[in-house]
Amino acid sequence: MATDEQLILEFQRGSREAFGELFLRYRELICAFFRRRVKDAARAEELAQETFVAILRSVQRYEPRATFRTYLFGIAYKILANHRRKLDQNSGGAGSGFDLPDPSAPGNAETGMWVREAIEKLEANDREVLLLREYEELSYEEIAGVLRLPVNTVRSRLFRARLALKEILVSVPGRSVREENALDSSI
Amino acid sequence: MRSTHPFELEEVMAYLDGEISANRASEIAQHMQQCAECRELAGSFRNLSHELAAWEVETSPERLTEEMNSEIAAAAGTQPKQTPSALVELTPIERLIALIHSLKGRPWVWAGAGSLATIFLLAITLPTLMTERTAPFIASRDGADVSRSASASVDKKPTFGGTVRQSQREELQALQKRMAQDEISSSIENHAVPAPPPPVPSASASTSPLIARTVSLSLVVKDFSAIQAAVEAVVSRHSGYIGELNTSTPPDAAKTFSATLRVPSAQLEPALAELKQLGRADQESQAGEEVTKQYVDLAARLKNSRATEERLVGVLRNNTGKVKDVLEVENEISRVRGEIEGMEADQRALQTRIDFATITLSVTEEYKASLNGAPSSTGTRLHNAFVTGYHSVVENVIGLVAWLLESGPTLLLWAVLLFFPVRWAWRRMRRAFTSQPKVAAA
Repeated sequence: MATDEQLILEFQRGSREAFGELFLRYRELICAFFRRRVKDAARAEELAQETFVAILRSVQRYEPRATFRTYLFGIAYKILANHRRKLDQNSGGAGSGFDLPDPSAPGNAETGMWVREAIEKLEANDREVLLLREYEELSYEEIAGVLRLPVNTVRSRLFRARLALKEILVSVPGRSVREENALDSSI
Repeated sequence: MRSTHPFELEEVMAYLDGEISANRASEIAQHMQQCAECRELAGSFRNLSHELAAWEVETSPERLTEEMNSEIAAAAGTQPKQTPSALVELTPIERLIALIHSLKGRPWVWAGAGSLATIFLLAITLPTLMTERTAPFIASRDGADVSRSASASVDKKPTFGGTVRQSQREELQALQKRMAQDEISSSIENHAVPAPPPPVPSASASTSPLIARTVSLSLVVKDFSAIQAAVEAVVSRHSGYIGELNTSTPPDAAKTFSATLRVPSAQLEPALAELKQLGRADQESQAGEEVTKQYVDLAARLKNSRATEERLVGVLRNNTGKVKDVLEVENEISRVRGEIEGMEADQRALQTRIDFATITLSVTEEYKASLNGAPSSTGTRLHNAFVTGYHSVVENVIGLVAWLLESGPTLLLWAVLLFFPVRWAWRRMRRAFTSQPKVAAA
């Protein structure tokens, strides 16, 4: 099976199938990336599409110095940052920087609300590292590449985020009950 | 109070995330087997990750695929001349180009920048030309091969490729010369021995290098229950054996399985390929220790010791002297015999290391890390921030001093060289300015 880097290089040489394969591989991950960070599900979808369009249009700029995942999530992260900046401007700078999805909105079929609420309480910098590790499953080095941080800083922030999240989750009342319910429903 | 653990807690987390070198990982794994606190920490890491997995979002809609298909089709015709998307911000290089455009029509800026760049380039290149030793350093400092450094960070052990292979070849050639000399000297010595020496093992006579190969492999598997049987089957298929095996199946945490496998060196590659198919290879490192010199030295010493033993037996057989002398010879024979047995054992062990490659296999059930451990109090966080800040200051100061030591002599040289011409030019210019009003007044 071709690696991501081989596929993007093939796409640079004009192979549409290569990009199609990359899209299939990362469609869910990128959609989930925005759904976990953007309140409006429709807007999250648009941002996911913008990410792939950006990759499509700027493919000639890709250089195989970093992994494709770093490149892809780097672009997704920039698009997310633009989106947050616009939100901040519209709200007069009162935004928290973390635009949590709205569970009651149509198109949002989420589970594990207590987890989402706990994550919201984390510090913004720590939260981003944690999300990239836990949900996007990026390596420390890839996270460092996406957020442009030293690897040691990534490790420290991740450690801090996990410690804090643990504390927050322990203090959530009735969590175990909800967890059991969730388990039951999944069974 | 300092931690009594030999590792930082962050390292335990990095171990669980598979973000640590194989050697360090094996040390931490060993420590965790003995340390209940660390095991508990690891368990809570995993629990947290399991809990985080509860937050699931909806899958992507089909229309996204349809829209992207049309985008791909639209982009296909114009792809080679694509322009960067407006959605993506300008990169530093693009910003630099924009800055250059904005400076058009300002010649004094260009002249100043040009002079500075020339001086800077001279300051950089002069020491490079003067000393050959700095060249590789600068090259390595300026090298930006991210992918190579990324792979190198996983394992720094020597491999059988690139420059390492070249250096091994040179070492081998030197070793072969030494072996030839050793053989000559030992044959001279053996001429004095009445009985013919036993033949040297065939491996030492061969000119091919003798390599003891070791591989460290970490796998992450989904189905943990069948892993032990699968590993045993792979080992047995390749005529190997399992040296050591440990399985840890805690009830509330991911299961781990570690084993030391020995497979014939010739079967190493196919065995590894099969092992990698059992799960996702998280980490892999290979090393080869060349033991040719060790082997040849051992064989030569063994040969000499056997010859000595036979000579002593001959002395004992023909001895007609005192009882004390007989006892001394017997003691000597016994000492030499002990040495021979020790060397034979070493030789057998060495031969096994050459014939059988060692695979240190570590298998972990698929999981995501989570955390427990020290409470995240404000004090701890402030302390951590202070320590990080302190390290940062120290690193900056060391970096500055290193830079000064590295570039200082060159800068000093240029300062000395340019001081007088600049001063002369400055005075001349000042004189010219001051004389103009006088001329005007006159």
